[in-house]
Amino acid sequence: MKSIQDRLKEKPWLGWVIFLGTVVIVFLLGMLASSIIERRSEAIFAYTPAITFSQFEPRSAKWGEIFPREYSSYKRTADTSFRSKYNGSSMIDMLEESPRMAVLWAGYAFSKEYTQGRGHYHAVEDIRNTLRTGAPVAGVPGPQPNTCWTCKSPDVPRLMNQIGVAEFYRGSWDTKGQEIINPIGCADCHDSKTMNLRISRPALLEAFENMGRDITQVSQQEMRSLVCAQCHVEYYFNKKMVEGVQYLVFPWKNGTTAEEIEKYYDEIEFSDWTHAMSRAPMLKAQHPDYEVYLTGVHASRGVSCADCHMPFMSEGGQKFTDHHLQSPLNNIANSCQVCHREETEKLVKDVYLRQDKVAENRVILETLLVRCHTEAKAAWDNGASDSQMKEILNEIRRAQWRWDFSAAGHGNSFHSPVELSRIISGGIAIAQEARIKLARLLAALGQNREIPYPDVATKAKAQAFIGLDMEKLNEEKKIFIENILPQWDKAGKEREITYE
Amino acid sequence: MGFLKKLIPPDRWKLPVLVILGIFTGLFFFSFYISNAPSYLGDKPETCVNCHIMAPQYATWYHSSHREKTNCNECHVPHNNVVNKYFFKAKDGLRHATVFTLRKEPQVIFIKDAGREVVHENCIRCHTGLLTDSKLLGYNDETHRFRMERKCWECHRETPHGRVNSLSSVPNARVPLPGTVVPGWMKNMMNTGNK
Repeated sequence: MKSIQDRLKEKPWLGWVIFLGTVVIVFLLGMLASSIIERRSEAIFAYTPAITFSQFEPRSAKWGEIFPREYSSYKRTADTSFRSKYNGSSMIDMLEESPRMAVLWAGYAFSKEYTQGRGHYHAVEDIRNTLRTGAPVAGVPGPQPNTCWTCKSPDVPRLMNQIGVAEFYRGSWDTKGQEIINPIGCADCHDSKTMNLRISRPALLEAFENMGRDITQVSQQEMRSLVCAQCHVEYYFNKKMVEGVQYLVFPWKNGTTAEEIEKYYDEIEFSDWTHAMSRAPMLKAQHPDYEVYLTGVHASRGVSCADCHMPFMSEGGQKFTDHHLQSPLNNIANSCQVCHREETEKLVKDVYLRQDKVAENRVILETLLVRCHTEAKAAWDNGASDSQMKEILNEIRRAQWRWDFSAAGHGNSFHSPVELSRIISGGIAIAQEARIKLARLLAALGQNREIPYPDVATKAKAQAFIGLDMEKLNEEKKIFIENILPQWDKAGKEREITYE
Repeated sequence: MGFLKKLIPPDRWKLPVLVILGIFTGLFFFSFYISNAPSYLGDKPETCVNCHIMAPQYATWYHSSHREKTNCNECHVPHNNVVNKYFFKAKDGLRHATVFTLRKEPQVIFIKDAGREVVHENCIRCHTGLLTDSKLLGYNDETHRFRMERKCWECHRETPHGRVNSLSSVPNARVPLPGTVVPGWMKNMMNTGNK
């Protein structure tokens, strides 16, 4: 056998073959590697939008220039024509539907006006126009803090970024009216660089910290619910964290069930207001949608908010997420029927069946609470003492918390009917317990007849019963709307011109 | 062995030959690493979007009810035995890799016959109950033909990817992208260098 060296001496061209062969192989291997790298970077570029605006661009129309399909579907949240049996996108006057609520909230702004929320597109318009935010004109501060703006607009993260979170919350609601112009939109949920979902509200981050959870570790699927949970949750304003500031806090430290949140409020001795009739230290539940959803069967199967409220839709050969956030009852085919094979009619019937059953007991609890407040007032009028009333008032607080937790959510009697039924039946038991104590106390005070159930058959009667001067409130609001709102819009427009 | 011995270079050539062999091996491992090759042994759906042209398939699956019970491999590779599973996966995967590398992918991707058979078998594997309902057997001479000779998706056409299948059909879907190949410590080093 000859060695390669010997062969090369005999045939010098063999050397060239080996050399060129190696060149070709290395060349091809290099091309393969570079092709892999190119196609990998392609993946990043192919899905990176050509954004020219900042993270805090509050005008959704700007985002819409790059995402026309998503934007045009978002704009359909302006639609108010859909109405289901209990909810929908139209502005239902809930106090008219159930005037008892006005009595339950006596002494609190909700008794003035409470309507079914419309779509995101109306968020700013509706908070401006509700009687709850009062009529701050001529330098008289409004009754609510700036904290109330937190969930209404992508102007909120923009402003928080400028002046800081606590400074954003500081001051009465009218002082930042000209800053908050654009309704809930793109920047509330999306990162402008990558279009990934992001958290834009500090309250949710802080709540996760308080629970000892790391929000950066959640999955994409969880994010598809958590962006909603920035607002669709129970919250309260903490006045003790920063001097002079009503700081937005989610009360989840002990957990997110009605009882765990109640325990948290009891521990910090918090009450939203003192009831005007019973003088009970009340809690107001604020749409605990996410908390209740977590207890339902859809959540336990891994279904997110977006799966039902923002399903995929197809238009012109393109598939994208429907940004018309709405009741799935108005979009059964894309929403429910992705998983459930039943007929539309049957599915709607199933939803109403659950809602009817929950509503049945909720109304019973509501009626009992009207009686509780009326009888407690009678007890005070008959000379009851603080110590005699203490336990009773605490029970009224607990019973109404359960009622409100069940009533305030948007679709909760469907999201988790069993949990809501449990909470309501607990509330009924507590309310009856309070009434037994009230009956004994009234008897001891020499009042041994039934305290008549007030005539609160209509919203007008109920509001008159709790002593609201609606004519005056409406008149003041009208002046505010006519004089102040155009100023806010003008100042906002002038500011936005400077963005270009 | 004599042949191998002939390949061993004389002493003074050993160093350059080792270096050149090292370059080859290094390039091979580099390609292995940047193509995320080990992930192809597993079942994660994210693996299939290593090639971004699979985004429409990923996004439509993610928005379907099949998301809850299946991953890509549940339907698209055979499950009759483990050898066949990996054989088919290797065969199909190498074809995909070749097409993708050569940029020969069509604008609309259609499933091949071999793949159709596999998917169909997998429909039956999970949904046997739907096919063996005793009430539905024997009533109709055509039953067998209707049930066994057609593919499930001739009727269930939206399941689960829908009927729109262009590469550009989900322009804005959020699909998991392959991460960076530059390790964190090296990135940090480069960033510090820039400053």
